[in-house]
Formats: sequence, structure tokens, C-alpha cells
Amino acid sequence: MKLDPTIRDQVLATVPSLRAFAISLCGNIDRADDLVQETLLRALAHIDSFQPGTNMPAWLFTILRNLFRSEYRKRRREVEDADGRYAETLKSHPEQTGRVEFNEFRVALAKLPSDQREALILVGASGFSYEDAAAICGCAVGTIKSRVNRARTRLADLLAIDGVDDFGPDRATRAVLASGGRS
Amino acid sequence: MTTSKPVNLQPPTPSEDKVEARDQMGRPATQRKSEVRLGREVQARIGQQLRAMYDDVVSQGVPQNIADLVRRLSDQDDRDDQVA
Repeated sequence: MKLDPTIRDQVLATVPSLRAFAISLCGNIDRADDLVQETLLRALAHIDSFQPGTNMPAWLFTILRNLFRSEYRKRRREVEDADGRYAETLKSHPEQTGRVEFNEFRVALAKLPSDQREALILVGASGFSYEDAAAICGCAVGTIKSRVNRARTRLADLLAIDGVDDFGPDRATRAVLASGGRS
Repeated sequence: MTTSKPVNLQPPTPSEDKVEARDQMGRPATQRKSEVRLGREVQARIGQQLRAMYDDVVSQGVPQNIADLVRRLSDQDDRDDQVA
């Protein structure tokens, strides 16, 4: 029996965001593409367990996350690569933000605990609902909400502390503003 | 007009002392109000950069080898035997 072309197209349509999620987990594009391929092999071998009409992206993300988690336990030392090759995975950086700012963000994101980073990406970048993200991660909706909140607060702290001198007036300027601003 | 007021040429010392006051985090006390505003700006930038980073990969589309893999697996009659 050949695969229903509609199902196949749903799988293909999910691949780009599946890769983006895999790269955010692995921090390494080669590992991420291996993970995506393994996910697709697994998914298509068990396509009968997918119920047509339900959420294909959520189903594939769940398989990929579970594969990553089991692989992660085996290869823990190799996986985290905070300052390393993640930038290389991006062919271009966002035009609207500077390279320095973008790298700052990437490094800050890598400092988050993996469960918080994963929750933030699923909700904030992949666009899953809290409910879908909870199903993908196999935890309660409240847990996802809490992880996303903690991730945002932590990132804001990391970026704000680094950013104060970049965005605010320096101390000499503040002294002048505070004393002579009412002329 | 302001040039007629020599007091503006040199910052009064007491104000300078106020700027040097530190809050519990060791930051200048007068900076706190702008940090609240900065917090919201940072939150907006987090969302923007998170999506920009993610969409950068998404925009790369489906790599040819992955597209080939999916098509090959889809056309097989015995998919279940392909994975141990």
C-alpha cells in the first residue's frame, strides 16, 4: 500500500519547521538533519498510528523530541554547543537586527536549561499552542506555561544586563542630563 | 537665552551624587525607571529574534535529500520492513 499523497504532502510541509526545531535542540546542523531523517523513517514506518485530520506537525515534533531525548542520554557530552556552530547553521542572519545583537541573543538562548529553551521555541517560534507543546513534551500545560515564563524572564535578564550600556545614556551623559536638563 | 545663566555651564555637585546612588543590584538608582521600559523592549526583541532565527531555517525549505527520502519511503509497498 502506497502512502496517501495528502499525508505525504503534510509530512513534507512540516519538514522545514521540523528542521528548525531540530537545530535548536542539537545546535548542530548535521546532527539535526540526521535527527530529522531518523524521525521521518520512524514516522513513515508507523504512519498507521497517525490519525488523519489530527495535528501532523505535533505528531512529528513529538517523535523527533523523543528520539532526541534518547540520543541525548547516550551522547550528552557532544550535544550542548552553546558558543560553537549554531551560527554556521544559519545561511543569513536577520536583516533587521545587527550581527552583534543576534549573536548575543543566540548565546543567551543557549544558556537556558534545555526544557525551558524547548518550551519557548515550541510556543514562541513554532507557534504551537500551550496544549500542543505540552503534548509534545509529555508534561502538563501548566508546566509549559511556567517554563516559557521562566525562559522569557531569564532571557530578558541576560539581554537587559548586557544591553543597559548599549541603549541607555552612559554615566557621564546621565550626570549632565540629571543636572542641566532644565535649562 | 540659556547662556545668560552661568549655572548651567557646570553641573551642580549634589545632582551628581544622586546619580551615583546605587540600588540593591548595584546599578545607579536613577536608572531603574528606564530599566522597566527596557524590560518591555527586551521582551519584544526576544519574540522578534526567536522567530527570525527560526524562520531563517524554515525559509531554507526542504533539503533535496530529505525530499527524496520521503518520496522513496512513500512509494514503497513495504514501509514497515524498512525500519528495524
